[in-house]
Amino acid sequence: MKTFENVDVKSVKEAVGLLQKFAGEKKNAAVVGGGSEYLQLMKVRVATPDYIVNLKTIPGLNYIKEDAGGFRIGALTTLAELEEHKGVQEKLLFLSQAAGEAASPQIRNAGTVAGNLCQRPFCWYFRSASHVCLRKGGEICYSVAGDNRYHAIIGGGPSYIVHPSDLAPALVALDAKIKIAGPAGEKTIPLEKFFVTPQVNARRENILGPADIVTEIQVPAPKTGSKGFYYKARERQAWDHAIVSVATVVQSGSGAVRDARVVLGGVAPIPWRVPKAEEFLRGKAIDDAAAQKAAEIALDGARPMKDNVYKIDLAKNLVRQALVASV
Amino acid sequence: MAQKEFSVVGKATPRIDGFERVTGKAEYTGDVQLPGMLYARVLRSPHPHAKILSIDTSKAEKLPGVKAIVHSFNTQVTWASGGLTQKRMIFNNPVRYVGDAVAAVAATDRYIAEDALELIEVKYEKLPYVLDAAAALKSDAPKIYPKGNLSVGDGRVTAPIREQWGDVEKGFKEADKVFEDTYISKHVNNAQMERRVSVAKWDGAKLTVYASTQGISNARGDIAKALDLPLSRVRVVCKYMGAGFGNKNQAQDYDMMTAVLAKTAGQPVKLEFTREDDFIGMHGRWASEQHYKVGVKKDGTITAVELNAITNMGAYRKQSGDLTGCDFYNIPNYKKVVSPTHTNTVVAANYRAPAYPQSVFGFASMLDQIAFDLGVNPYDMFLKNRVRVSKGKSQFTSNEMEACIVEGAKKIGWQEKWHPAGASKGAKLHGIGMALGGYPFRLGLGAATIRLNPDATAHVIVGVVDIGTGAKSTMAIIAAEALGIPLDQIQLASGDTDVTPYSIGESSSRTTSFTGTAVIAAAEDVRKQIFAVAARELEAKPEELDLKNGIVFLKSNPGQKMPLVKAIRKVESEIIGRATTNPTWPEGFDGKCFAAHFCEVEVDRFTGQVRLTRYVAAHDSGTIINRLTATSQVKGGVVQGIGMAFTEELLIDRPTATPINPNYRDAKVPTHLEVPEIEVLFVDASDPYGPFGGKPVGEPPITASVGTIANAIFNATGKRFKELPITPDKILRAIQV
Ligand SMILES: Cc1cc2nc3c(=O)[nH]c(=O)nc-3n(C[C@H](O)[C@H](O)[C@H](O)COP(=O)(O)OP(=O)(O)OC[C@H]3O[C@@H](n4cnc5c(N)ncnc54)[C@H](O)[C@@H]3O)c2cc1C
Repeated sequence: MKTFENVDVKSVKEAVGLLQKFAGEKKNAAVVGGGSEYLQLMKVRVATPDYIVNLKTIPGLNYIKEDAGGFRIGALTTLAELEEHKGVQEKLLFLSQAAGEAASPQIRNAGTVAGNLCQRPFCWYFRSASHVCLRKGGEICYSVAGDNRYHAIIGGGPSYIVHPSDLAPALVALDAKIKIAGPAGEKTIPLEKFFVTPQVNARRENILGPADIVTEIQVPAPKTGSKGFYYKARERQAWDHAIVSVATVVQSGSGAVRDARVVLGGVAPIPWRVPKAEEFLRGKAIDDAAAQKAAEIALDGARPMKDNVYKIDLAKNLVRQALVASV
Repeated sequence: MAQKEFSVVGKATPRIDGFERVTGKAEYTGDVQLPGMLYARVLRSPHPHAKILSIDTSKAEKLPGVKAIVHSFNTQVTWASGGLTQKRMIFNNPVRYVGDAVAAVAATDRYIAEDALELIEVKYEKLPYVLDAAAALKSDAPKIYPKGNLSVGDGRVTAPIREQWGDVEKGFKEADKVFEDTYISKHVNNAQMERRVSVAKWDGAKLTVYASTQGISNARGDIAKALDLPLSRVRVVCKYMGAGFGNKNQAQDYDMMTAVLAKTAGQPVKLEFTREDDFIGMHGRWASEQHYKVGVKKDGTITAVELNAITNMGAYRKQSGDLTGCDFYNIPNYKKVVSPTHTNTVVAANYRAPAYPQSVFGFASMLDQIAFDLGVNPYDMFLKNRVRVSKGKSQFTSNEMEACIVEGAKKIGWQEKWHPAGASKGAKLHGIGMALGGYPFRLGLGAATIRLNPDATAHVIVGVVDIGTGAKSTMAIIAAEALGIPLDQIQLASGDTDVTPYSIGESSSRTTSFTGTAVIAAAEDVRKQIFAVAARELEAKPEELDLKNGIVFLKSNPGQKMPLVKAIRKVESEIIGRATTNPTWPEGFDGKCFAAHFCEVEVDRFTGQVRLTRYVAAHDSGTIINRLTATSQVKGGVVQGIGMAFTEELLIDRPTATPINPNYRDAKVPTHLEVPEIEVLFVDASDPYGPFGGKPVGEPPITASVGTIANAIFNATGKRFKELPITPDKILRAIQV
C-alpha cells in the first residue's frame, strides 16, 4: 500500500468541496464507504491515492426509509442492513437475497450499497499491478489474448470486464433511481443510465465525475402482481462474484405478462438489460417454451471469447428458470 | 485388533494451547516485535526467464527510511533446500519464472519498503521461456538448465523416477481387457492461513531467527550452512505456527534474506510475504499429466499397471515430483516412469501428501471407469483390488484397509444409494463415489527430554513445532500416558533450538511416530529412576512397580503404594529422563496408514454447480492418540481435497507468463459453505511399531478426497472428467442437452 492521507468528512457538501479541491490540485483522491473493495486495490497498488475521503463519518447517510412510493436507501447503508431489512424482505425479497448473495458476511457488514454499485471490476488483469490494462490507462485489454473465462460475452470491447455487482441487476430490474451529489448540486437519474459501456469510456464503469458522490438509491414500490427473482451462478458459495446472474421482474395479470424486466449480471461491462426479451414476454403466458424463447432472445448477439462460451448456456438456463418461477 | 486400555490416550482431548490460539493471545512469528525492528519486502521478477544485467539501487537508497537492500550482485547466499538437484541461491541470475526473487529491501516501515521496491531499477535481458511441461521436454524447447528441462537426479531424487516389479508385459497378456487413459491435475497452492514471515536479530555474532517453520532443527542447519555459521550461533524459534502444509519445511530463502538484511542494517528485521508473494514466491503442488495402461480380468482384478507421467516442477526442483496413487491397490505387475520437468513457472514441491491426491485422482478415476465399462460395482472393484502387499513384496506392519472400505461403505449406505453412472435424472443429478488412500508410516529418529519436578509435574522438552496439527497436545498426551501422571500436570517446552533437542521436522506425518516414540522412552527413563528409589521404600523390586495417576504402586498389590511426590523427594530436586530413539522394523516389512473415502454429490443440471451433500472418511491410523485433533486432521484434509477437486488451480496467463489468481479470492480456496458435515470414522486398529499403536493421520486424509469426489460426479452425470479442477463450466459443457 502506498502512504496516503485519510480525511474524515462531516457532510456531503464538505466531501464534494474537498474532492473538487483535490482535483484542482491534480491530487489523486478517492471516496470510500466501507473501504472493503477500495482497500483491496490499494493493497495491490493498483489504486495509489494521495487522499482518501472517508464518507462513513457523514451522519444521516445510513437509512432505509419506506413510504407509499417505495424505498429510499441511504448510500452508507450496508449490504447486511439491506439484506436484513424487514420491509425489504417482505416486499422485495429478491433484492434482499441479491444483497445476501454478495461477497461474504464480513464484507456485507462493512460494504455499503453505494460502494457496491461503484465497485471496480474484479477482472484479474485489472487487479494485477503488473498488467497496465486499458482500464488503467494502458493500451490493451489483456483478456482478449489471455484467460477470459470470466469475461464479457456481450456488450464488450474494447474492454471486456463484467460488472461485478449483485445489487445492480436487481436494482435495474426494479427501475431504481440513483441520487448523485456533485459540484453542480444534486441530480436523480435512472440507475440504468448510471453505468457506462467501455465504448463510451473504457476507464470508468459509471458516469461519476471526480467530485461526484452517490447519496441515495430509490426503489419504487413493487407493482401489483409483480414477482422478482435473482439467481446467481458461482463456483464458490461465498466470497465469489457471479459467473452469470439474472434478475427478473415479471408483472402479470389475467394470465398474461403485463410488463417484464430481464437484467443479466456477470455477462457484460454493465448490468445488461435486454428490452427485446422483455418486449417478447409482454402479453404472453409464460410456459417453458416461452421462457426458453425469451432466454434465446436475451442472449441474442452474444459474442463469447475462447474461454467463456459456456456462459451463454448458463445465462440462458438462468433466465429460463427465473421466468418459469415467475408464474 | 482390540485396543489396549489407556488412561489418557484415545480420548477427545482439547488442545493444550487451544485457549491462547483462539483468543489471539498466542504469539505467532508475525506477532514478534523487537525494538528498532525494520520491515522488509521482496522484489520479484516480472519476466519468466531473463538474465539480470544490472541492478541500480541508488534511487531506492535515497528514499528516507530505507536501511538495507540486498540482491544477487551484493549477496551470494546458497539456499540449500531451494533446489535439490541444482544450486539455488536466495537471489538467482538468471531469473527463471515470474516471481523469482530479485532483491529485498529493509526500511523503517512496510510502506517505505514497498515504495523502495518501485525505485529499484533492474535491467533484464529476456530469454526464451517455456510454460508447459510437455512442451518443455521437446528437443527444441528453450533450455532452463544446460542439461535440459527433464530434472536431473542426485543422491536423493532421480529423474525420471522409475519403479517396477513383476512383468507388465506378462500382466497385460494375462488380462481380459486393457484400458488406457490420461488424467491431468493442476498446480494448487498450499494456501496456509499464516503467510510467510521471518524475524532476524543479531546479538554480536549470534543470530536469532523467529521463523514460521515446520522444522526448527532443519531450519537452523540450513541457515548455519548458508551463512557459514556454527550451529551454536544460530537460534531458531517458532512457538506458534499457522500452518504450511509442506511449504515451510527447512529454512527458506526469506529466512536467509532476513538474516542478511538484519546484518547489513545492524537492526532486527521482519520480512513478511504478502498473500501474492505467498502464492508465487514459494511453491504449490506439482501439476501432472498421467497416462495409465491397466490390464484387468473380466471380474475387475488388476493384472498389470503401467504409468507414464510428466510432473511440472516449475523453475527449481525442491522435492521428488513423484506420483504414488497406485500404492493402495494390489498390482502384481507394475511399471512406473515419472518425469519431473522444469518450466518457467512457479515452483512445485511439497504440499500435504505431495505425490498422492493428484495421482489418486487419476488412478481411482481410471479404476472407477473400468468398473463401469466392465459392469462391476465400484465398491467391489475397490474392495477386490485393495492393497495387501507393499510394492509387490513387503508385508505391512498392520493393514485395516478392508475395514475402512467395509465400514465406510456401510456408514454412507453404499449398497442402497449406488446406481449405475448416469442413471440419475431430473434437475438435480445425484451421485455417489469412493476412492482409496493412505500414506506411508515410517519410523525414525526422535529425541525428547522429560523433567519431572519436585511437585510431580513435568516438563516435556521436544523440538517439535505444532504446525496446527495439535502436536503439542499429542506429545503431552503421550507423555502423560507413558509417565502415569495426569495430563494437566504436563507442560510442553518446544520450538526453540537453544533449548529443545533435535526433531526431524514436522512434515511427512512423522511427528507422532518419531518424536512420540522418544517421549515414551524418555518417560521410561524417568520411571526407571523413580522405581529405583520407590522400590526401597515399598520393599519391592523396581520391575514389580507401576505408576499411574501420580501414584507408585506394586503391580501385584496396588494397595502397597506411595505418592509420586514422595518418591521424587527421595531422589533430589528433580528427575531428568532423556532418550534418543531410532527404531526399525524387521527386513521385509513396510508401514502404511489406510483410508477409504465416500461422498455423495448433487449436480445442478442448469448451472453445472456441484454440491457435496455427504462425506464419509474411514481411516486406519492405528491407535488414535487424540480423537479430537485426529478428527480435525481428517476434516482439514478433505476440505483441501474439495478445493483441489472443484476450484483451485494456479492460472498462468500465457501471453505474459504471469500468475493471475494468486490470492484467496481468485484461487477459490473452499469456504465453510462448500463443506458438508464430514463424518470421520477411525476403524479399530493398532500397529505393533507405533507409539501406543499409533500411525500417522496428518497426510492420509487429503489423499483419497479428490478421487472420491471425481468418481461421485461421474456417478451423477455419467460423464468422466479427466482434468482438474472440475468446474461448473466443464460440467455444464459436458451435460448440456
Ligand atoms: C473478496 C470480495 C468479494 C466480493 N464479492 C462480491 C459479490 O459476490 N457480489 C457483489 O456484488 N459484490 C462483491 N464484492 C464487492 C462488495 O460488495 C463491495 O466490496 C462492497 O459493497 C463495497 O462497499 P464499500 O462501502 O466497502 O466500498 P468502498 O470499498 O469504500 O468503495 C468501493 C468503490 O466505490 C466508490 N464509492 C464508495 N462509496 C461511494 C459513494 N457514496 N459515492 C461514490 N463512490 C463511492 C469508492 O470510491 C470505490 O471506488 C466483493 C468484494 C470483495 C472484496
